[in-house]
Amino acid sequence: MRISKGGLLVIMAFLTPLIVELRTVLSWFGIRLSVVETGALGLALIGAVLIWALWPSNGGTEAKLA
Amino acid sequence: MNIHTYEKTWLAVSMVLIVGFIATVTYGAVGPGIAMIDDDGGSIDPDTINDDERFNDPGVTHVGENEYEAAVVAQAWTYTPSEITVPANSTVTFYVTSRDVTHSFTVAGTNVNTMVVPGQISEMTVEFDEPGEYGILCNEYCGAYHHTMEGKLNVVPQDEFDLTELSTDASDEAQLGNQTTINTTVSNDMNYDLETTATLEIGDQQSLEQDVTVPAHGSETVEFAVDTTDLGTGDHDWTVTVDGHEESDTLTVTNATEGGDGDA
Amino acid sequence: MAMRNAYIDQFPKEARVIRAILWSSFLALTIGGTLGLIQGLHRTNVLRFIPSQDYYTVLTAHGVLLVITFTIFFLVGIFTWAVTTSLDRGVKDIRFTWGWYAIMMIGTLLVGVSILGGVVDQIPMNADVLYTFYSPFQAHPAFYVGFVLFVVGTWLAGFDWFRTWWAWKKDNPDERIPLPTFMALTTMLFWYLSSIGVAISILAFLLPWSLGIIDSVNPLLTRTLFWFFGHPVVYFWLMPAYMLWYTMLPKLSGGKLFSDPLARVVFVLFLILSTPVGIHHQYLDPGIAEGFKFIAMTNTMFLLLPSLLTAFTVVASMEHGARQRGGKGYLSWLKALPWRDPAFTGMALAGLMFAAGGFSGMINAGLSINYLVHNSWWVVGHFHLTVGTAAALTFMAASYWFIPQLTGKEIWNRSLGLVQVVLWFIGMTFMSNAMHRAGLFGMPRRTAEPQYQGFDFEPAVGTVAEIDAQVALGAALLTLSVYLFITNMVLTTIGGSTSDAIPDNTYAGTLSGPEDAPVIIDNLKLWTSIAVVLVIIAYSLPLASIIDAGGLFGPGIDPWKPSVVADPSLVLESVRGVMP
Repeated sequence: MRISKGGLLVIMAFLTPLIVELRTVLSWFGIRLSVVETGALGLALIGAVLIWALWPSNGGTEAKLA
Repeated sequence: MNIHTYEKTWLAVSMVLIVGFIATVTYGAVGPGIAMIDDDGGSIDPDTINDDERFNDPGVTHVGENEYEAAVVAQAWTYTPSEITVPANSTVTFYVTSRDVTHSFTVAGTNVNTMVVPGQISEMTVEFDEPGEYGILCNEYCGAYHHTMEGKLNVVPQDEFDLTELSTDASDEAQLGNQTTINTTVSNDMNYDLETTATLEIGDQQSLEQDVTVPAHGSETVEFAVDTTDLGTGDHDWTVTVDGHEESDTLTVTNATEGGDGDA
Repeated sequence: MAMRNAYIDQFPKEARVIRAILWSSFLALTIGGTLGLIQGLHRTNVLRFIPSQDYYTVLTAHGVLLVITFTIFFLVGIFTWAVTTSLDRGVKDIRFTWGWYAIMMIGTLLVGVSILGGVVDQIPMNADVLYTFYSPFQAHPAFYVGFVLFVVGTWLAGFDWFRTWWAWKKDNPDERIPLPTFMALTTMLFWYLSSIGVAISILAFLLPWSLGIIDSVNPLLTRTLFWFFGHPVVYFWLMPAYMLWYTMLPKLSGGKLFSDPLARVVFVLFLILSTPVGIHHQYLDPGIAEGFKFIAMTNTMFLLLPSLLTAFTVVASMEHGARQRGGKGYLSWLKALPWRDPAFTGMALAGLMFAAGGFSGMINAGLSINYLVHNSWWVVGHFHLTVGTAAALTFMAASYWFIPQLTGKEIWNRSLGLVQVVLWFIGMTFMSNAMHRAGLFGMPRRTAEPQYQGFDFEPAVGTVAEIDAQVALGAALLTLSVYLFITNMVLTTIGGSTSDAIPDNTYAGTLSGPEDAPVIIDNLKLWTSIAVVLVIIAYSLPLASIIDAGGLFGPGIDPWKPSVVADPSLVLESVRGVMP
């Protein structure tokens, strides 16, 4: 893991406002997402963060302190 | 006192932000002239609203070329009038007061928004550029049915707008052979005279016309004399049309022998 | 057995009274939070099981229980901790402390019962007047008496702390006021100043009026007196959170407070500027000249300064803590923070959401743009970020540190605590974001059914249904979070085992200490005098012109008792009756 469990939980929480407002921002550029599409995009983002977080860190240069 | 350099920078940026906010609000007031609700409306004893010149007949009045005044009385849980119509490209000054508790007069989704405090008159001038339909709502809690308090604001194209109102006084029933009258009072709340023609259509046959001049902020009654002999017995639908406004009802002509007490 | 030095070991008597106070606070939070869920589901038309008329009773109770009872009980508890801990001496007479707590409790019960009368027929009382109790709404006298008792209790609490400080000063004549005590005292000073407004409003007008001694009140006057108190009270809720961010968060981060002098400056600014701003709640009121609104706007904008300074100091202190823990890099230090600690994470998230709430507050403060959002749901979104998160989440997070200090027991489940604070953040994100957006298209606050016959709201993006769904989801998550919190607290208190591993009762040290602050900063008399002068400048003319125009007792305003509930169709009939 590249990050502590607590840190991961907080990152997940931070994603919430981003996902919620992503469609508002996109609509400025004329891209209108439905609720389902927004949900799918959100899940993809969460998945990406999980993969990043769970990927074994190489060499342990980034110490886990938390 | 020892303040870190970064903190000094932050302090300076914060002050710029604060002064910037004050400057933009000041510019809004001085430049484009965004006026606030203030004490210009004056105060009023809620018990005297019915005697007040402005509020005894609330509604829209024409006061200048493209200038109008709208008097509104709020009370739990309605506005009087509940529907307000004004023309596009006009400047409307609203005067709103409350008969009971604190309300608001809020045009949903716009900055037309004022508190309506009993004892006070809220005065607010609004420019309407485009035609449109808006909801009016009360956004201050005013009792158990607060959520039912709403109204309507219609901004109509200038050429569809007038302040003509009709009210008609006519009997529902007449005896064959008698003459009856249909009196239509035309009121005009524009600040110029209304010169127009009043038309009565009754039954299939008769069509009567009268020219009428209604003074500014005044009213004029048009009297149509209807001869029941020409109509014959039975129900006759009639319509009075003045300046595009219509009033209609039905006149029942009876034989002299039947239904003498006017049981319409 | 290792020597444990928690608060309960140092001040066992004070710990008992603070426990009682915090439990009163938590109880108010649990009831108030549950009522919030009822409202969230009702307004959004997800689930309506009460009649819409009763919505306003629920709303009154939700407002009073959360913004008065929950927050202020927490404040008096935590300030008692702050004063005794930082002066390292107990209160002068513990019976006096129990006394003011009892007065506050009696006040709460009177207010609570009179509000409950709005839905329980057996209680012949009614106080469906919301937290602002604007006249001519008239509540049962018990509501006003209870409110006054509660405020008097807080005044006595302040006296308790001042008395403790005076005693300490006698023994330590040359020492600077310790920072937590300084914060408690400056907060109390603006509280004394501002609560005079609500005291006059109730004692001179509303209470005699509800007892039938006077016939009429001036609604604009009582309203202005309410806001004289009504804005400072929001800082009263916030100051304990600020105190915790300054004195606890740096410690929990593993470091020290960046600057003690600036912390003092911040609290002095709050003392000076909290009160002469109340008219910014009345930007849309008739009967108040534009110039007075302008003065309130200017003062409000300058009141941003202490909050902006706090944002800097708090983040700088957290970074210092992270670097002490081995954090490196421009942003990588964030990873070194103790994210597993619910007390730290909760406070950090609360501070972050307060930044968002601060931004929407800047919009509210803008005299002209305020017309777009005044009394809309936007405002509700705003204060759920401020009092509803900056204060509430900080208080809950701090409890994960305080309850062990006060009970000598370990938290029952710290991981659950972490989940709880994160859940609050997520729930509030959904709810307050949607409320802000709904306000922008004009949806009103304080409305049981914001669905109208004659028109529909038009969101710029998305639909009203999506906004409603976000609010309902957010409200459900927040209520779940409250229940997780209270469960954890109950099980800690009754089930937890006494532990020797409770950390010592200390607060954060400072990088730049009080010796760096000029002595004049501790001159409370000077700052109080300046605050009084500013209040006189901001309020004397508006109050004089309101009284001049509408009279001290108003132009014959009839009381309106919300208990008289009529059917709207009958009301419409009566309207036709009174119209000429």
